[in-house]
Amino acid sequence: MPFTLEQPTTVEEALRRLADPTGGPAVAIAGGTDLLLDLDEGRVSAGRVVSLRRLPWNRLQWQGDSLVVGSTLPFARLGADPAVRARLPGLVDAVDAVGSLALRHRATLGGNLGRAAPASDVVPILLALGATVRLVGIGGHRDVPVGRFVRSSRQTDLAPGELIESISIPSAPVSAYVWQRVRPANDVSQVGVAVARSDSPSGWHVALGGVLPAPTRVVEAEALLARRRPNDAEVELAAQAAAQRATFVTDKRATESYRRRLVSTLVRRAVARALRTEVGG
Amino acid sequence: MTGPLTLAINGAHPRTVDVPDDERLLDTLRWRLGMKGTKEGCRTGDCGACTVLVDGETTLSCLTLSREVDGSKVTTIEGIADDPEGRKVQAAFEAEEALQCGYCTPGFIVALTGVRRELGPEASTAALVDGLQGNLCRCTGYLAILRAVERVREAPR
Amino acid sequence: MTRSDAALKSRGGAEYGLDLETHGMLHGVLVPSPVASGVLRSIDLSAARTAPGVVVAVGPAELAALLPNGGDAERPVFPRSRVMYRNQPVAAVAARTLAEARAAARLVRVDVTNEPPLIDLEERFPEWPASLTSHDPAVVAHVVARHGDLAAAFRTADLVHSETYRTSGIEHVALEPHACLAVVRDGTWHVTTTTQTPFGVREDAAEILGIPQESLVVEGTWVGGGFGSKGAAFLEPYALLLAAAAGRPVRLAFGYRDEFQVGRSTLPAVIRLDTAVRNGTITARRVRLLLDTGASLPGRDFATGYSIGFLLGPYRIPAFEMEGYAIRTNKPPFGPHRAPFAPQCVFAIDSHTDGLARRLGVDPVEFRLRHVWREGDRTPLDQPVGPFGAAAALELAHAKVAAWRRTLPAGTGIGVGIGFWSTSTGAGGEVRLRLTATELVVEQAEHEIGSGSIVRGLVAVVERYFGLPADRVRVTSPSTATAPFDSGVFGSRTVAALGKAVEAAGEKLLETLATRARASGPVRLEFDGRRLLVVSGRTKVPVSELLQPDEREGGLVAEGRHYGRSGAIDASRVVEGTFYPYTDFTASVHVAAVSVDRETGSVKVLRYAAFQDIGTVLDAGMFRGQVEGGVAMGLGTALTEESLWAPDGRMANPGLLDYRIPTIAEIPPIEVVAVEGFLGAGPFGAKGLGEPPIIPVPAAVANAVADATGARVTELPLTPERVARALKLL
Repeated sequence: MPFTLEQPTTVEEALRRLADPTGGPAVAIAGGTDLLLDLDEGRVSAGRVVSLRRLPWNRLQWQGDSLVVGSTLPFARLGADPAVRARLPGLVDAVDAVGSLALRHRATLGGNLGRAAPASDVVPILLALGATVRLVGIGGHRDVPVGRFVRSSRQTDLAPGELIESISIPSAPVSAYVWQRVRPANDVSQVGVAVARSDSPSGWHVALGGVLPAPTRVVEAEALLARRRPNDAEVELAAQAAAQRATFVTDKRATESYRRRLVSTLVRRAVARALRTEVGG
Repeated sequence: MTGPLTLAINGAHPRTVDVPDDERLLDTLRWRLGMKGTKEGCRTGDCGACTVLVDGETTLSCLTLSREVDGSKVTTIEGIADDPEGRKVQAAFEAEEALQCGYCTPGFIVALTGVRRELGPEASTAALVDGLQGNLCRCTGYLAILRAVERVREAPR
Repeated sequence: MTRSDAALKSRGGAEYGLDLETHGMLHGVLVPSPVASGVLRSIDLSAARTAPGVVVAVGPAELAALLPNGGDAERPVFPRSRVMYRNQPVAAVAARTLAEARAAARLVRVDVTNEPPLIDLEERFPEWPASLTSHDPAVVAHVVARHGDLAAAFRTADLVHSETYRTSGIEHVALEPHACLAVVRDGTWHVTTTTQTPFGVREDAAEILGIPQESLVVEGTWVGGGFGSKGAAFLEPYALLLAAAAGRPVRLAFGYRDEFQVGRSTLPAVIRLDTAVRNGTITARRVRLLLDTGASLPGRDFATGYSIGFLLGPYRIPAFEMEGYAIRTNKPPFGPHRAPFAPQCVFAIDSHTDGLARRLGVDPVEFRLRHVWREGDRTPLDQPVGPFGAAAALELAHAKVAAWRRTLPAGTGIGVGIGFWSTSTGAGGEVRLRLTATELVVEQAEHEIGSGSIVRGLVAVVERYFGLPADRVRVTSPSTATAPFDSGVFGSRTVAALGKAVEAAGEKLLETLATRARASGPVRLEFDGRRLLVVSGRTKVPVSELLQPDEREGGLVAEGRHYGRSGAIDASRVVEGTFYPYTDFTASVHVAAVSVDRETGSVKVLRYAAFQDIGTVLDAGMFRGQVEGGVAMGLGTALTEESLWAPDGRMANPGLLDYRIPTIAEIPPIEVVAVEGFLGAGPFGAKGLGEPPIIPVPAAVANAVADATGARVTELPLTPERVARALKLL
C-alpha cells in the first residue's frame, strides 16, 4: 500500500503529526530496516509514515555514569564510539551482532526497541544493563525500564502518539553479549545471553534472548552468581538455573530442547567474556 | 504523494526530480534516473547488491526512502572511479578477476570503497571483511574478492 | 589474461534481464495459488480488470482465445483444474506500473478447493519401500537396476554396514532474479531474457504456447548467475502470453520471495544404504532412494534415474541393487541445480563409505583407493570407465591429510570426500566463425552466466587452436533468429561442446584459406600487430587479400558443430525405468579441516583443499574461480542451507535471512590443485568443470566432523543443532 512520508524537524511537530487523525493511521519510522519490510509485505498498514530522522535525537552523551542514546542514533555510531567500547562492552557486542555494517548505518536503538522483535540481539543486553527508555508524548515524558517496556513479541508499552526519545544505560565495564547462530555472520540468533555486573549492590544481571514471550531476565541465575568474580562451580549452577527457568520456543531456527541446551553454555561464556577485560581476570 | 528530491549524484550538480514519498533510492536511481549500474537484489537489505554511498557512507539503497536523503551527495558505481580510492578498488577487482556473473560486483566495489573510507587506510583485512559481510556473492566463493581486498590494502596511496 | 567482461561489469555497465525496459512497456504480475493442493472452481478477474492502470488480466479461460490450440495440453500456461503447489501461477495481469499490477493481482478471486497436500515424504511413506508400490499415484518414476548375486554377498559378509541418510531441499540463489521482456507483433513472438539457454527457452516456450518455434525469437542478456535456475523456460511463456493479450511490450520479473517460493530446485530425499564387506573388500551394495520431485509431471522425471547411479560411488562393486522412487509432492517441480542432487548423493555414499572404513579400522583414503575405478574398469551398468583422475587425486589428498595431521592443532577433524560426475555431456552445439582482416569472431548462441565459459573459455580455445592473441578474438551472442544452435550452458558442457565446434569450424576455415592462398601444405594464422596474416611455410599473405568482396564486412565464414557421444550401458541390468550412460568420467577429491564446538555443535571449516580432475586446464584463472566458487556453494549445502516447508505447503524461509548462503566471513583458505592428463572429450583434452567442484563438499565436511568427534551426522545440512544431536548433547 502506498504511503505518504512526513519529515518533521521538531519533536512537537512529530507528536502532532503522529496524533493527527486526518489522512489515516500513521506510523513512526527510524532506520526503517525492519518496518519498511513489514510495510512492503502488508504486515503493517499505514497511510502515513512519520520519519524521525530529522529530529535532534541522532546523538549520544554521558550523563554522569549513564550513557544516554538518542533513539535515532544508528548502531554503527554507537559501536564505533571509544568511550562506549570501554564502558559498555556488552552493548557493543550486541550492536556489532546486528546485521551488516551498511545495515548498522541505518538501524537504531529506538527502532529496535520499538519494533520489539522476539529475536532482537539488543534487548537482552539492555535488560541486563538495567536500561531505561524515555518516552515522550503530548502530555510530557515518562521513563520506563526496558523490562517493562518490551512486553511481548512485537508488543511494547508505547502508547498511541508516544515516541521513544532516548535510552539511558548505566555503564558496566564488566558486561558481555554472546549468541548462537546457524551461520555466524548476518543471521538471527537462536539464543542470546547478556550479562552485566553492576557496581551497585544488585550485582550480576543475566538476560536471555530467543525465549518466550520476549527477552527476559533470569533472577534465579543472578542470585547464584552473587560474587564479583564467581568461581566455575557458581557459574555452572547459575547457568543451569538459567536453562531451567526460561521458556523456550520451537521454531524454524531451533528446537526448544536445543535452545535450552545452549543457554547454560552461553551463560558460562558470557560471564567469562564479561570478566576478560578486568584486571586480574 | 510525491515531492521534490534533490540529489548531487557522482559529483554532478544537484538535480531535482519529483518522486513518490514511498519510493526507494534504488528505484529512483535505476528507473527514474536510468542509472542501472546499482543492482536490485533481495530488496530486504540482506544481499548488498544495491549498495551506494550517501554522503560517503555505505547505504542499502533498497531500504532507503529517497525523500529521506533529500539534499545528499550520492555516489554510485557509475561514479566510483572519480574517487581515487574507488578507482583503486575497481582496478583491484578487475586485476584479480574478483567477479564472475558480475551482479554483486557494483555493490561490492562501492561497499569496499565506503568501508575503507570509514575505517581508514590502515584498516585490517579482518575489519574490511567484517564490513563486507552484508554483500553476498554466489559465484566466486569470495576468495578472489579477498585477493582484491589485499591488493587494495597493499596498493600505494 | 583478465576476462574480457571484467571492466564492463566492474563499472556497472553490463545489462542484465532485470535491467530491461522499453518505451510503452507494461509490468506483469503472476497471481499465485492460495493453496498447495486443490481443484480450481473459478477465477474471477473482473475486479482486477477494472483496477487502475490494468490493461489485461488473463487466466485459464483466456488461453483458448489467445493461443493457437490453447497451448500445450500437458503443460498449460495456467492449470486448468488441479493446483499442484502453493503460489503456482493461476492467472496474470499487466498494468502500467508494477504497483498497479501488484494491487490488481490481489483483486483476483481464486476459488479453489483446499485439500491436504503431500509435503513430507516420510510422513506419507513411513515404512518405505515396503509401503510403496510403483502403482501409487504419488510415484512419478520408479527405477530399478541390479546385477550379481546380492543375496549371497550379504549372506557371506563379514560385516554389513546399513544406514539411512536424509538430505534437504536447497535453492540456487543466483543474485539476479528471473526477468524478461516480451513483445508480440505481427505474428512474431519475441522475448529478451536472462537465460542459460536461448534455444532451450525457444523450444520450451513454443511448446507451452503451442506456437511454431520459428515464430519465436529469444534474445539473451548478461546473466546474473544461473546454477541451473535459468536452464529452461520459466517466466517467458507468461510474459509472451501477456504481451500477446495486451498488444504491448510486457516486462515480467520475479522478486526474491518468488524465487524461493516458486523456483525449481533440489528437493528433500531419503537414502538407504547397505554395504556388504568380506576380507576388507566391498562385495555388494544396495541403495534405495526416495526423492521428492515436487510437482514434476509423470514421465518427465530425469533426476531419479540419473542420480541413483551416483549412489553406488565410483567403486568396483561386484553385486548391487539400486531402486529409486520419484514422489510427486505439492511443492514446485524439481529443477536442475549445479550437479543436480549429486552433492546429496555423494554426501550419503561417501559418508557411508568413510564410516565403513573406520569401522573396519582401515584408513578411509586407502579404503577408497582399494575400490575406486581406474580407466578400463566397468561401471555397475557395465560401461567401460574412461580416463579418470580419481586415484591420482586420492593419492594427493592422502598426502594432504598427512601434512595437515602434522601441522594443524590436535582436535582438528580432517575429512576427505570424493565426487564423481559425468561432464562434457553429449548435448550438441554449433558455432560460426567469421574471419576479417583484423579479427576472428566466434558467433554462438550462449550468453555469459559468470563461469567465464563464453567470454574466456571459448577465447582460450581460439588462442590455442589458432595461436592468436586473445585481443584478436571476439565472441558474440546473437539472438536465436541468427545464432547457430546450441543446447545451453549446463551439464559442464559449454566449453567442451562449443570448443570442439570451434575446432571443427577452424579446420574448415584453415582449409579454405589454404586453398585461396594456393598453399602446398597446412596454413596457420598470425597477427603482426596490425592485421591478420595467413602463413604457409615462409610465405605470409594478409587475410584481407584472401577475402572476397562480399566478405569484406562479415568476414570469411566457417561453421562447425559438435554433437558428443556418451558410452553405452548394459540394458540387461536395468529392470525398470531409465538409466543414463556417462561421458567424461570426472573426479573431484576434497579435503576439509574443521573444528567442532563440542558444546554448541558449531562447525568451523579451517582449511580446504580441492584436487580436480580436469584433463587440461584451458585457463588458470577460470579454473581457480570455478573450483573456489563451487566449494563455497557446497559449504552452504553442507552447513547452512535448507528450504523449509510447512505442512500446508508454504515455504517457511523464503528470504536470505533464514535461507543462509555463505558470506565472506565463512570461507576458509582453499588450495586448488589441477589433476591433469586424464583427458576428456573437450578441446585439447579438457573436461567440464562447472559442476564437479560442488559435489564432494558436504561429504568432505561431514567426514571431517566425524573425524573430529567420532559422531556421524546423517542429515544435511550439518547445522549446529544436528551436530549437537549427533554429539548426544540433547
